[in-house]
Amino acid sequence: LSGYNRTLTELVIRRAHVLDPSTGLDGIADVRLREGRVAEIGEGLRGTRELDADGLHLFPGFVDLHAHWRTPGREDEESVESGSGAAAAGGFTGVVMMPNTYPVVDKPAIVGGLVARIEKESRVRAYVSAALHAGLRGERLTEMRLLKEAGAFCVSDDGLGTPSAGVLRNGMLYARSAGLPVILHCEDHTLATGVVHDGAYAALAGIPGSPASAEDAATATAVVLAAETGARVHITHVSTALSAALVGFFKGRSQVTADTTPHHLTLTDGLIAGLDGMYRVNPPLRPEQDRDGVTEALRDGVLDFVATDHAPHASEEKELPFEEAAPGFLGHETAFPALYTELVLDGRISLPRLVEAMSCSPGRWVGQGGALSVGGMADLALVDLSEEWMVSRETLLSRSSNSPYLGRGLTGRVVGTIVGAELVHDRIGAKFGVRA
Amino acid sequence: MTRNLLTLEAARREDLREILELAHAHARGETRSPLAGKTVCLAFFEASTRTAVSFELAARRCGADVISLSESGSAIAKGESLVDTVVTLDRLGADALVLRHPAAGAAALAARYTGAAVVNAGDGCGQHPTQALLDLYALSEAAGGFDELAGRRVAVVGDVLHSRVARSVIPAFTAAGMEVALVAPATLLPWDSGAWGLPILDSVGEALLWGAGVLYVLRLQKERMTGARIPSLAEYARFYGVARRHLGDGVLVMHPGPVNRGVEISGDVVLDGHSLIPDQVAAGVHVRSAVLALATGAAHEVAA
Repeated sequence: LSGYNRTLTELVIRRAHVLDPSTGLDGIADVRLREGRVAEIGEGLRGTRELDADGLHLFPGFVDLHAHWRTPGREDEESVESGSGAAAAGGFTGVVMMPNTYPVVDKPAIVGGLVARIEKESRVRAYVSAALHAGLRGERLTEMRLLKEAGAFCVSDDGLGTPSAGVLRNGMLYARSAGLPVILHCEDHTLATGVVHDGAYAALAGIPGSPASAEDAATATAVVLAAETGARVHITHVSTALSAALVGFFKGRSQVTADTTPHHLTLTDGLIAGLDGMYRVNPPLRPEQDRDGVTEALRDGVLDFVATDHAPHASEEKELPFEEAAPGFLGHETAFPALYTELVLDGRISLPRLVEAMSCSPGRWVGQGGALSVGGMADLALVDLSEEWMVSRETLLSRSSNSPYLGRGLTGRVVGTIVGAELVHDRIGAKFGVRA
Repeated sequence: MTRNLLTLEAARREDLREILELAHAHARGETRSPLAGKTVCLAFFEASTRTAVSFELAARRCGADVISLSESGSAIAKGESLVDTVVTLDRLGADALVLRHPAAGAAALAARYTGAAVVNAGDGCGQHPTQALLDLYALSEAAGGFDELAGRRVAVVGDVLHSRVARSVIPAFTAAGMEVALVAPATLLPWDSGAWGLPILDSVGEALLWGAGVLYVLRLQKERMTGARIPSLAEYARFYGVARRHLGDGVLVMHPGPVNRGVEISGDVVLDGHSLIPDQVAAGVHVRSAVLALATGAAHEVAA
């Protein structure tokens, strides 16, 4: 499934601070990469091609379970090439592509076409999520076994909740038989009639709000059904403290896993007061107490990992009155810096837990990457934790520029991304040039 | 210097006083064509009768050139985006843009794309600042002056959830020194009804017990009249409708119009001596003249 297939070379990364909570590595070391894999970790390693990483951190590459690369159909907003470029710039070495495209990825031929484009265009390992139901309509099951043969990695109706619990239950049962994990966007559309969190800011601004129960009731249904069916269910973009607690209750009673997003961990619904359509996202930004609850759940492992919900939109879809603006934020390129700045430097979670939540844990879920061990995939992220930078349209490689962090200063930046022992994103030269 | 009027959320007492005083000057005929040579654009992306007419009269009486765009028969109907319409009017030389739009935040968005003064004439469930200003004008007149409003109690009755008028009158009454209470069933209040920090009362009768001297009654939208949010018009009228029996002791009744007679106000109250509804309408032209003069900077040019 990897789009990555380049000539094999050897590279020695010298004197980086290697950090991988899954293997216990935490200190200065040299790492030799060969034939796409980690060949050796130690001291005093030398090679014909060396990269001096003194002062940098080396992590297992980040894995993003939730991205919209808008392919097929809206390549003006993002393509496999630009989306994977943005992912690489954010240190991601593996990404799951969501199926709510034009057309929807709900037929084996569409999966096959997408896999071919990934082979040709993607800088990182990309995995295809097909739809759980035809047209994402929550009615008719997709041909999951044929989709899997065509290369689908998992199924999801992301972007929409499933309207009927009965239909969802059958979807879980069939996905279990097909051997495909299910990623669920939990939203009850009878409750979610607004476009922002229904709180004080919605009340004052007069923007229609959706209550937190729109997410919580759907999450409750999903985790109950996951436990009953035994399906491998992953709840994506958990944004409320109660939904996180519901997931926590079903940990150990089911195979359920869950993620939350960088924006729900770093931003709150106070941003809607300015009435700027940029800040419309689904699930909506929540109040501080939900942000705190979700952050604690991530810290404690109740929420397994972070996924970005990278959702590019053309400017004409965002420069609209709030309730008409398209929901969604860019995510790949700012995920680590935003979380490092707001959570690690703020003392809310540790750096090892953040690396685990961005690399190890989602890597385990995907079954590839997320660990830095001899013989394992050489999928790595090289990060400068001291670099301070300003997010601007010019710094973003995505085709779109709808980042909620535009104009913000962040600390920590990915300077190099390695997939299969090959540099797919390289700011190291520029960086050392500045130093010299 | 131009000045937008987008929201009254952060309205200050002195700002309100300035506008009301200028409106009085307009009412007394002390201003002479302050907008001569200025171009006022009325862009109404949503149907409106009284607000549109009132703004147009205000602009014309002040001597402005007026361009009206409405939903039908313009680029708006052809699907041109708000931003593109605003940029077009800006480049055509508009000095003021009066905007009505079905979505909250539309006026704020427009203001980011034009140097003309943007006057919010109602945006979705967001704000309707000139309505609240003319309400203050009419109420001040009845009370014997703006300063007489301080300490008085006003109950805002009805569909606060969907009302841009409520979102403007609440901060405007508060800034004028009045005490405000909300009177509505929970289905017609925002989920976080404590957002304004105001008491919530359960009927017009309770509002009077609380000491309300003014009943500010909101229009009940037809589509919400029955069904999931209220059980029946009869029950609504019984608890949240203003009737003659409520009009003791100098209680004043206000309504932004148009009125559903027999629903939120019984028919015999609308034109009763306790009702300020006709005065509210009459205040519209004076207040909007003042707002346009201040927004375009014309008021200060005259003063200087």
